[in-house]
Amino acid sequence: MSYAHFRFKRLAALSCLLLPATGTVLAGEEINALHRQIQHMLLLQQNQEQQIKELERHLQHLEEDASDASTDNSGLLSSSTTTTSDGFQIGLSGLFSVGGSSIDNDTLEGLQAGAHDPKQNGFTVQNLELSMGGTVDTHFDAQTNIIFQIDANGETVVELEEAFFTTRNLPWGLQVKGGQYFTEFGRQNPQHPHAWSFVDQPIVLSRFFGGDGLRGQGVRVSWLMPTQWYSELYFGIQNPKGETATSFLNTPGEEIGGYTLIDRDARNFSDLLYSARWLNGVDLSETVSMNVGVSGLRGPNASGMSTDTSIYGADLYVKWQAVSSQHGFPFISWHTEILKREYSAGDITDFVHETLKDEGLFTQAQWGFKPGWIAGLRAEYARADGDTSADPLRDNRHRLSPNLTWYLSEYSKLRLQYNRDWVEHLPNDTADSLWLQMEFNLGSHAAHVF
Amino acid sequence: MRIIKFFSGLLLLISAFTSHAALQVVTTTQDLAAIAQAVGGKQVEVQSLTQGTRDPHFATAKPSMIRQVFGADLLLVIGADMEIGWLPPLLQSARNSRVQPGNPGYLDLSSAVVLLDKISGPVSRSMGDVHAKGNPHYWLDPRNGLRMAQAIATRLSEMDPAHKDDYQRRLNTFEQIMGTKLPLWQAELAPLKGKRVIAYHKSFIYLADAFGFQIIDEIEPMPGITPSASTLSTLVERIKTEHIGLLIMEPYYERRSANYLNEQTAIRMVVLPQSVGAQTDINTYFDLFDAIVATLNKVED
Repeated sequence: MSYAHFRFKRLAALSCLLLPATGTVLAGEEINALHRQIQHMLLLQQNQEQQIKELERHLQHLEEDASDASTDNSGLLSSSTTTTSDGFQIGLSGLFSVGGSSIDNDTLEGLQAGAHDPKQNGFTVQNLELSMGGTVDTHFDAQTNIIFQIDANGETVVELEEAFFTTRNLPWGLQVKGGQYFTEFGRQNPQHPHAWSFVDQPIVLSRFFGGDGLRGQGVRVSWLMPTQWYSELYFGIQNPKGETATSFLNTPGEEIGGYTLIDRDARNFSDLLYSARWLNGVDLSETVSMNVGVSGLRGPNASGMSTDTSIYGADLYVKWQAVSSQHGFPFISWHTEILKREYSAGDITDFVHETLKDEGLFTQAQWGFKPGWIAGLRAEYARADGDTSADPLRDNRHRLSPNLTWYLSEYSKLRLQYNRDWVEHLPNDTADSLWLQMEFNLGSHAAHVF
Repeated sequence: MRIIKFFSGLLLLISAFTSHAALQVVTTTQDLAAIAQAVGGKQVEVQSLTQGTRDPHFATAKPSMIRQVFGADLLLVIGADMEIGWLPPLLQSARNSRVQPGNPGYLDLSSAVVLLDKISGPVSRSMGDVHAKGNPHYWLDPRNGLRMAQAIATRLSEMDPAHKDDYQRRLNTFEQIMGTKLPLWQAELAPLKGKRVIAYHKSFIYLADAFGFQIIDEIEPMPGITPSASTLSTLVERIKTEHIGLLIMEPYYERRSANYLNEQTAIRMVVLPQSVGAQTDINTYFDLFDAIVATLNKVED
C-alpha cells in the first residue's frame, strides 16, 4: 500500500469520525485520544486488507494446486499443524573410506580395532546406517538403528545396533530408556560413527568397549536434577554378555591378558552390568559452553566364575563459538576423555589370578575456521600394568592424528586424516596411515547436538 | 555419605530459590522473547535459547538449553523448520510434557502468520536448504509482529486467566505503538518502494513485502549454499545490466562475496540487523525496525 494512499485514507477516516462531532469543541486531549484510536483502527484495517490480500494469494495457490493431491492444500490452517506431525523419521547415512598404511592388512587390523575404522589398504565401507524413529504417542519415543557393513572377506554383515524406547512425560525430570542401546559412558561411546570427529575410534575405547562400542539390552533411568545448571544422573542395568560387552562376559573363547574366557552367564542381579553417569553442563560465557562428566561401570567378567570388572572415566568437552557465526562457524572445540579399567582375571581359588590394570586417554581439538571447514588434531595413548608388549590390545600405544574435514553441505562431508602410530607390539614400532573418508546423510534432518 | 548429604542439601537450597510465581516463557529467538516480554510484562519471565547475533537455523542443542526448556511453562518457537536441527533433540532431552507440540505450553508462531514461499512441488535437497513449509523469516514484517503479539497474548490469557486484562492492556499498547510507528517507517522507506534489491540469503522477503521493495536475487545460489566464483560473476553481470543499486545482508554472513560485488559493480552493501539482539542497542521489537529503517535510510541519503 502506498504511503500517499495511506494518508488519504487517514484523512477519510478522520473526517468520518469527526462528522458526528460537528458543533462540539473538542479538547486537545480528546483529539489526541481520537488520533490514537484512528491510528489503531487504521492499523486494524490495514491488517484486514493484508489478510484479504493473503487470502486471495492463498486462493490462487489453492486453485493452482487443486489438481495435485500430494500438496499441502489446507491453506491458512496448515501451518498450525505442521510441527506436530513430524511422525516417523527415516534416515540413511553412509560412511566410506579409502586409504593406505605403511603396514599390511593383518597388522592394520590390530591397530584399527574399531569395527567402523578404516582397516584395509584400499577401500572400506565403514558403516551404512539405517535409522528410523519418531514419537510413538504421548508416552514414548522410539528409535532403531540397523547397520550394514562389509567385512575384510567381503561378506555383508547386518546388525541391530540399537532399538530402544524413551519415555516422554515422566514427572520430576525422570526419563526411562529401554531396549538395546549404547551405554551412556563418557561422551564418545554413545555417539554414532557419523558424529565422530575422526575417521576412527580412539584406541582406549576399542580396547575397553570392543570394536562396536559398549552396548547391550537393558534399561536405564536418568534424572534431570532441579539444579540451576544442567545436571543429569544416569543409572542403567544391561546384559553383560556378547561381543558388545568386551570387558565383561564377552563371548566364550576370547582372550584377555592371556586368560581364555569361559562360557559364563548372568545368574542373578549382581551378575548384570551396572552403569552410572553424572553429566554437568554450564555456559561459561556467551560464547563458551562446557560439559563435564564422570562415569562408572561394574559387571562380571568371564575369566572366572566370580570375577568382575570395573571401569571409570571422566570426560570434558568445551566449545567456543563466535558471537556472530555463519552456519555455526567459526568454532573451536576440545574433547578429552580418560578411562581406567580394573579387570580381576582368574578366580581367587585358581592357581593363577591377578588384577589387570589398563588405562587410556584421548584428547582432541577441532577448529572450524571457515564455514564448512574444520581442522582437527587428536593425541591419544593407552597402556597397561605389567609386561604387555606383545599384546596388541594391551601394549603401550601412542597415536597422533591430524585431519581436515570439509562439509560440502549439511548432508555430506569429506575428511582426510593422517595417523602416526607408535606401537610396542610392532617390529619397527611405528606405522603411518592416510585415510580419505566420505559421508552422506539422506532423509531426516541431522540433529545439531552440542 | 557426606557427599550425598551435601548434594541433597544443595538441591533443597536450589529448589527453594527456583520456585517462581511468574510464568516461565522460553523462546527460540530473541525476537519472540522481546514480543513475549512486551505482552507478558511482569507476569512472565522470558528467556531466549539463542542470541540474535547468530543464525537461529544453525544453533546447537546445548545442555543449558535442556535446563531452560525443562523449566518452561510456555515455549514459543518460530516454526516452519527454522529450528529443525536442534529443537527436536532438545524437546526429547528436556522431558517437559507441558511444552511438547500439541500441548498448550507449545506455541508455534508460524501458525499466526501467513508464510511466503511455500513450495507446492516436490522438494529435493539438491535445491539447497529449502523450507517446504514456507520461508521462516516472517518476523521481519512488522505486521506479522503484531499478529505474533496477538497470538502470544491469547495464549498467555488462556494459561493465566487471572491476568487476562494485563495481557490485553499490554497488547493494546503494543498495537498503539505499532500503529504510530509503522506509518512513520513506511514514510521513511518510501524512496525504496519498487526498488530492485539483492540479498545474501532468502531472509528479507517479508521485509520487502512490508515496505514494497523487491528482492530479485540472492548471493547464495541456493539457500544455505555458499556462492562460488561463477555464481558471483553471473551476479556481477546481472547487477550491471539491470542497474541494481542495493544489496542487503545479515551481519553474520561472510562479507567477501558482497565486497567483491561492491568492487565490481559499485552496488551499495548494507548490513541489516535481522533480529532483536543483533546489535547491543536493539532490545525491543520496535528497536529492531527503528534500526533497520535508520540503516536503510542512511543509504538512501
